[in-house]
Amino acid sequence: MVAAGLYLKRFYTVVRGEVLVLPSRVIVALFFLVLLGMPLISQDPYLIRIIVLTSIFAILAASWDLLSGFTGQMNFGHALFFGVGAYASAMLNVHLQIPPWVCVPLAAVAAVLTGLLVGIPCLRLKHTYLALTTMAFPIILMGIVFALPDITGGELGISGLQRISNSMIGNYYIYVVTMLVLCTIMWKITDSHTGIIFHAIREDELAVKASGINTTRYKLMAFCLSGFFAGIAGGLYAHYMRIAGPSTLEVSMSFTVVIWAVFGGIATIYGPIAAVFILFPLLEFVRFWPEYRMLIFAVVVLLILLYMPEGLIPWVRDKIEKECPRCKIRNVATRKTCRICTAVLD
Amino acid sequence: MAVPFLEVEALTKSFGGLRAVDNIQFRMENKEILGLIGPNGAGKTTLLRLITGILKPDSGSVRFQGKQLVGLKTWDIVNMGVACTFQNMRPFRRLPIIANVMVSCLSPRSMRRGEWVKVVESKAMDALEFAGISDMALEKASTLSQGDLKRLEVARAIATEPDLLLLDEPFGGLSPAETDLMAKSIRRLHKGGRFGRLHSEGPAMIIVEHKLQQLMKIVDRIIVLNFGTLLAEGKPDDVVNNPAVIEAYLGQGGGQ
Repeated sequence: MVAAGLYLKRFYTVVRGEVLVLPSRVIVALFFLVLLGMPLISQDPYLIRIIVLTSIFAILAASWDLLSGFTGQMNFGHALFFGVGAYASAMLNVHLQIPPWVCVPLAAVAAVLTGLLVGIPCLRLKHTYLALTTMAFPIILMGIVFALPDITGGELGISGLQRISNSMIGNYYIYVVTMLVLCTIMWKITDSHTGIIFHAIREDELAVKASGINTTRYKLMAFCLSGFFAGIAGGLYAHYMRIAGPSTLEVSMSFTVVIWAVFGGIATIYGPIAAVFILFPLLEFVRFWPEYRMLIFAVVVLLILLYMPEGLIPWVRDKIEKECPRCKIRNVATRKTCRICTAVLD
Repeated sequence: MAVPFLEVEALTKSFGGLRAVDNIQFRMENKEILGLIGPNGAGKTTLLRLITGILKPDSGSVRFQGKQLVGLKTWDIVNMGVACTFQNMRPFRRLPIIANVMVSCLSPRSMRRGEWVKVVESKAMDALEFAGISDMALEKASTLSQGDLKRLEVARAIATEPDLLLLDEPFGGLSPAETDLMAKSIRRLHKGGRFGRLHSEGPAMIIVEHKLQQLMKIVDRIIVLNFGTLLAEGKPDDVVNNPAVIEAYLGQGGGQ
C-alpha cells in the first residue's frame, strides 16, 4: 500500500513537472487518453470506424512528413507506398492464406523495397523534377495492377481479406495503439541526430556533403523509413476495409496526403497527424450536404493556408506558448518569466 | 621518397569554352599554410572545389597522402581529412547554430575514435567555443551576422577534425577587427592541441583570400593564379614583388 502510494506520488510529480507545464503537452496527453478511453464512452460503430480510418491516414500523413517535410524530397506519389502495402498484404492474405498480423509487417517490408527502388532513381532529382517523377510511380503501378487481373483483381481489387481481430473493440485498440506507437516512433526519429541530418539535407544538401555525411545513404534511409510506415498504413487499411483496390493508388490519394500535411504544418510530424484528425472527421460529418462537401473542404484548407502559411498547428502552438529568448525553452503564453532560466518573456 | 602530403597534377576543368582551371600542378607539405591568390575569376574557388570533389575535373589528378581523390565522393574526401568552407556561406538557416555544427560532428571521421553519440553535442559546443560563437549556440543560423557566419563555417569545418583545411575567403566581408580575430583563430588552430573534446593536429591549410596584407602574416608560401593558370609560386615577399603578379593585379605598368 505504502509503495503504491509512493509510486502514485512520484507519478503525480512527473506529470505536474513535465506535462502540465505546457498546454501542447496537455493536449497530447488528452489526445492519448481520449483515444484510449473512447470505447468506454461510446461504442457507436460509425464513430469507431471513423476513428480507425483516421488513425490509418494519420500514419500515412506523418510518414509523408518524415520524407518530404524533413528531407525536402517532395514526394507527390506517396500513394505508391500505401498501395504497395495494401496490395502486398491482400495478396499474401488471400492467395497464400497468411494470417493478417504477419501480412502487415511483410507488406511494410515490400514498401521498404519499393522505397529503395523509387529512391535510387530519384537521388539525382530535385524540386519540381523530383515531384513530377514521384507522381508517375503510382500511376505506373496502377497500370501493372490492371495488366495482371489474375493476381491483383484488376479494377475490382482483391476482396475478402481477413480482419486482424474479429471484435470491433479489439480492432479499434489494435489500430489506435499501432497509430500512437508508430507516430511516437516517427516523432522520436525526427527528434534524434538522424532528424538533424534530415533537416540539414532539406536546407542545403551540398553543405551536408561537405560536412562529411553520406547524403545518399540518408536520403535512401528517409525513403525506406517513410515507405515502411506508409506500407504499414496500407496493410492496416486493406485489412480493415477487407479490400485492396486501385483507389489506394490514385493520384487524389497522393494529393490528399500532401494537403493534410501542409494544412497541419510540415516538418513537425504532429502537425499532419492533427490535421488528419481534424479534416478527415470533418469531411465525414459534412456528408449531410454531399453537394457542398468538397467545397467546404477546399474553403477550410484555403483559409488556413492564407492566414497560417506555416500550417495550423505551429500557428496554434505559437499562440498558446512562447519561446524563452535566452534558453529557448517553451513556456505557457500567460507566464511572465521563463520557467527554467527566469528570463523575462516579452 | 616520402609520399607528398598533397600533390595536384595537371588539373584541368572547363565550363563550356572557359578553361577555369588549366593544367595546374603544385605540391604541399604537411602542416604548411598555403595562400592562394589571384584576380577575380582566376579559378581559385574552382580549384578548391576540384580538390574537395564538389566539381569533377576534366583531367589531372589530386593525391592526398598518396591517395587519389579524383572520382571520390565529397563525403569520402571529407572523411579522409580534407575539410572546406564555402565562400558564399551555406549555413542550415532554419536550424539552431549548434545543430549546424552537430551535422559535422556526426560524420564518420569525427566519430572515428568510437566516441559515444552523447558526446556529439558537447563536441559541437567546443567547436563553437573555438570559433567564438558559443554564446549564440541556440539561436537560429538565419539570425547571424556576416562575420559570425564565417565563424560558423570555420566551426563546421574543424568539427570534422581535418588534416587539410581549405578556407575560401575567411576574411571576406569582415571588419578589420573581425579580420584580426579570424586570423588569430586560424593561427591558434594551426598550432594544434585539444580544444575541449575537439582535437586538432594542426592541419595544413590552403587559404584563398583577397586581403593580402592579412594573408601575408599567416602563410608560409603563396601560389598566384591568373586565368586558370599558375602564374607564380614562392615566399610571400618574393611573390608580391614579382612583376608578373603586379601586372595581373593592377594591369600593365601598374607597378610603377
